[in-house]
Amino acid sequence: MKIRPSGRLAWEVQRVKTCRVSRVFISGVGVLSPIGLGRDAFWSALTDGQSGVAPVTRFDTSGLERNLACEVKDFRPRDFMSAIEARRMGRCSQMAVAAARMAVRDAGLPADELRGERTAVVIGTTMGEANVLDELEQAWIHEGDKAVSCQKIPRYGTSLLPIHVARSLGTRGIVQALPAACAAGNYAIGLAGDLIRSGRADVAITGASEEAAKLQYAGFARLGAMAPDRCRPFDRERQGFMLGEGSGMLILESEEHLVRRGGTALAELGGYGLACDAHHITRPHPDGAGSKLAFRQALSSAGIEPHQVDFVNAHGTATQANDPIESKVIGEIFGSRPAVSSIKSMIGHCMGAASAIEAVSCVLTLQHGIIPPTINYENPDPDCDVSLVANEARSTQVDILLNNALAFGGYDGVVCLARPDILPARPIRA
Amino acid sequence: MSSIAITGFGVVSPLGVGREAFLSALQDPEKAALASFEGASEVLTDEVAAPLRLAEVRGFDARDYLGKKGLRNLDRLTRFMIVASRIALRDAGIKNDGEFVHHAPERVGISSATAYGSLDAITELLRVAELEAPRYINPARFPNTVINAAAGYVSIWEGLGAPNTTVVDGSCGALDAFLNAQLHLENDRGDVFLVGGGEVITEPLAVGLAKLGALGPSAALDSRVEESFCIGEGAAYFCVERKDEALSRGARLLACVRGYGTAFEPPANEVALVHGSSRAVQRAIGAALADAGLKPEDIDIVASGVRGLRELDAAELDGIRAKLGPDVAVGQPKQVHGETFGASGALALAQSIGWMAGAPLGTLLSGVAPQRVRTVLITSVGFYGNVSALIIETPRETHELD
Repeated sequence: MKIRPSGRLAWEVQRVKTCRVSRVFISGVGVLSPIGLGRDAFWSALTDGQSGVAPVTRFDTSGLERNLACEVKDFRPRDFMSAIEARRMGRCSQMAVAAARMAVRDAGLPADELRGERTAVVIGTTMGEANVLDELEQAWIHEGDKAVSCQKIPRYGTSLLPIHVARSLGTRGIVQALPAACAAGNYAIGLAGDLIRSGRADVAITGASEEAAKLQYAGFARLGAMAPDRCRPFDRERQGFMLGEGSGMLILESEEHLVRRGGTALAELGGYGLACDAHHITRPHPDGAGSKLAFRQALSSAGIEPHQVDFVNAHGTATQANDPIESKVIGEIFGSRPAVSSIKSMIGHCMGAASAIEAVSCVLTLQHGIIPPTINYENPDPDCDVSLVANEARSTQVDILLNNALAFGGYDGVVCLARPDILPARPIRA
Repeated sequence: MSSIAITGFGVVSPLGVGREAFLSALQDPEKAALASFEGASEVLTDEVAAPLRLAEVRGFDARDYLGKKGLRNLDRLTRFMIVASRIALRDAGIKNDGEFVHHAPERVGISSATAYGSLDAITELLRVAELEAPRYINPARFPNTVINAAAGYVSIWEGLGAPNTTVVDGSCGALDAFLNAQLHLENDRGDVFLVGGGEVITEPLAVGLAKLGALGPSAALDSRVEESFCIGEGAAYFCVERKDEALSRGARLLACVRGYGTAFEPPANEVALVHGSSRAVQRAIGAALADAGLKPEDIDIVASGVRGLRELDAAELDGIRAKLGPDVAVGQPKQVHGETFGASGALALAQSIGWMAGAPLGTLLSGVAPQRVRTVLITSVGFYGNVSALIIETPRETHELD
């Protein structure tokens, strides 16, 4: 919807060193997922309850006791970039650039609007170009360090993710890579929102990208976190997740920028919360201490009460450890019982990209009034007492939602999204 | 950023561990530079280390600071970061005898930087998977492969419940971590943040950089003529809090953070990846000055990121002089620390605090040494056209550096 200025616009409120703004909108999304490339294909598959699980094709799984994953299929980098660009990057960066270009197109942002110092790029990930490092290491192991390719070495480096996106779109503002493990998408989106609210940027291209790699696959298998056949969040018989990959990107704009260019808001970024469990490097806090803090921060920063939340997009990894604790936290935070769903049942756990891809799903939920289902749900678990959207998509108006993510390191990140003009106006922090 | 104060810091570096050891070593920076590069490598094989000069942290034993328990699965980077953070929290009076003095744990967080994380942990597990079998991957060490794991361990060891964020921006990371901490403070997500970064010398990093011709045998004593740099390692963390709150709790202010700026410029040649940009340097400095409300003549000295790569160094020096004038004093912290990537901005900041306390400036790249250092501009230049700048100054209050 078109956004009207909310009373006093940002530049009228404060004009000192930076120009603080109160509202940040999402004006475009781009996604490469295991169930579809682009928002329409992705959304259609999500609402149909399609699974992205298939045999792993990109690396050898022998000896790993697992052979299924949710890989991105049919991604051809040359559909999205020049040959020179494609050669410069690893696949993780290629997916980030492709999703970012989709998002820019979706937002209807002219190139001139991006080519300046007021556009930030903030990209999350877990391991970045993990497969580039794997290739280099394989050469070293089998043929000695002299076989390590000087052409390939420069493709490695997590800091390259936002650099490649910035170069591909011509932006010249803040560039940041935020590795926050499996909550990286939410961390990046939140920080990008901060940059706009604090007046340090007008537009931000943000999200996350992740490529499935053998080391991650083997590591999660050794941790007992991966299911053998399918992902069943909140189900009593759950056995873990399927490893996934992909990229989700969003265009954030200040209200002033969106109004000035006549753009269309898909959703509002209401706020977010971050906390740290400080408990264990992989296991969530047994009482969800950090998670509850992040939820409360997200509610507070958006200026809303728990009963106003219609839907919680759950982290929902289907591990024995996560789902009961997440259910308990949701139960304690919300007086009412918001709808809950985990699209990891369909797209797998895309690690750093997970909450970014899920943010795209959340934006589409707000737009279409449909909550994607948690598929593979058969056996209720009394320890996972949530109002689950099980197996079939639910048509219902969703005004305000929260996107929850947790990660290695005890990271907790919750992002609040809402339909445009639903959230209350909030005072601007000094 | 004028309301942000640094109230303590901790360092793990070739010069020593802790603030006092670090500042003491800086009393003779030329000697410190030489000392940093002395000794046989403890982390690289002789074959890899032989042609290189390394600013390596030698003789470091985390047990001296953390005790014996719980260290087995912590890699070198994580140990550096925890030790530097623990010292910083104690130095700032945030913790005493391991307990928080003034703050609830959920009000203390960390904004960290690293460029390569625990690269050796990743490559070691890759080797286990390839040469032995994937089932031999140690699940207790797998978490070390995610880049934010080291900062995550800091929160676990120190009980920090406020946000824990890691930024990866090459050599700009530690300065960018100040921006992120500032955003958390502005939004009341905590009251104190450990801000800084860490990096370690690893075999894959040394081999990769050496193959690219980036590493050389000499320290950046005169980097204007060098084509390569010396790799270093270390970690430095600063306790950063709102100035008024620090004063109200009676904290000693080591420095105030006045301004931050950052910029990115793509290369002129589409094929290029590594490049320097004078324009990006000028923009980052200009943004930092504007954020600080300062004029170019207010800067006493620049703690540059000059490292020994001619194109990048030339762009940096050109940008500094274009923005601050041809006579501005330009120091080179990497003469002492080598290139420490994600830690480099933090180590330069620690050195800058030393300069403000009267430590000698070392060999300047240009300009005349100021009689007294009150305001320092720190610049960090990434390999890909990204540049960040941070301005610190001595506190104007009576709580001067002791």
